[in-house]
Amino acid sequence: MNCQGQQMSQVPPARPHPGLFKRNPPIAGEAEAIEAAKRGDGEAFAKLYNLHKRRVYTLCLRMLGNVSAAEDMTQNAFLHLFRKIESFRGESAFSTWLHRLTVNLVLMQLRKRGLNLVSLEETINPEDDAPRRDFGSRDRVLAGSVDRVALERAVAALPPGYRMVFVLHDVEGYEHNEIAIMLDCSIGNSKSQLHKARLKLRELLRNPSKLPQSPLPSAPAESAK
Amino acid sequence: MTLPVNIDFDNLKPEEFEHILPDLFASGDGKVSQDPRLKKFLAANPDCAALVSDLEIIAETARSLFGPVAEPSDRVWQNIQAKLQEDSALASIDDDYIDPDAPID
Repeated sequence: MNCQGQQMSQVPPARPHPGLFKRNPPIAGEAEAIEAAKRGDGEAFAKLYNLHKRRVYTLCLRMLGNVSAAEDMTQNAFLHLFRKIESFRGESAFSTWLHRLTVNLVLMQLRKRGLNLVSLEETINPEDDAPRRDFGSRDRVLAGSVDRVALERAVAALPPGYRMVFVLHDVEGYEHNEIAIMLDCSIGNSKSQLHKARLKLRELLRNPSKLPQSPLPSAPAESAK
Repeated sequence: MTLPVNIDFDNLKPEEFEHILPDLFASGDGKVSQDPRLKKFLAANPDCAALVSDLEIIAETARSLFGPVAEPSDRVWQNIQAKLQEDSALASIDDDYIDPDAPID
């Protein structure tokens, strides 16, 4: 293995997973809105949408890497939610349930598009997209620290399979065994995909010219946090 | 893929390190740079140490991406409302539906 390369600048320690979406506690007023939505209350639908739209949309955006597709998927997820809300029995947090529903819808769409999630490694990583074994020479130094915008751009530039596992594990906080179940692949495959995703991200971050020019759009006030 | 039990960490080669790196990251808290078994190896292989550090920084920064940072356009909610109204209209048609073949009382 050629581990050549300069070390990236240290970033301030990231905050710990801030109560992952899937483990979020219930939100005030949410339970009442859910019950009202089950009775077909339109205002309750609107409230649930406003409470969860950002997280659902952000998840879709990160998994799909495309604004238009993410908006369509967000619409799809909430329509599914409102049509199936009677089946929510409160056995898990509502946000967990919605998160799972969204991930499943994204996976369904990717499968329809022909992404074979059973054999991620062999099917979605054409040679051009695979991280290079040469990790770079010492004269190509990553300037500055890895900021969120650069990482967002790099994540958006990942091949879909890499992006999926990276987002689920490193951003959303799922464990490999959970990802393996969701993606119907082996735990080893999930670990391998994550590692390759991180290698690819390193390569992209060290070569900013390879990154797409426009970052993923985000709400300015929120992204500055 | 799981971490082999018989790894000789004192005589680890970069190729072997590459092979086990995904499992090293997956085990424990993912802080490979602080794994005491690798202290000697990483000290002797600064490029591998740099790689580990970079991958840890990427993983740490990824955690900071978590959060509601993006907002869908108003179009999304407008479309949802339109679809729900469509559903509602269809449901009311279903409620009012009279089977023309049903026997008349």
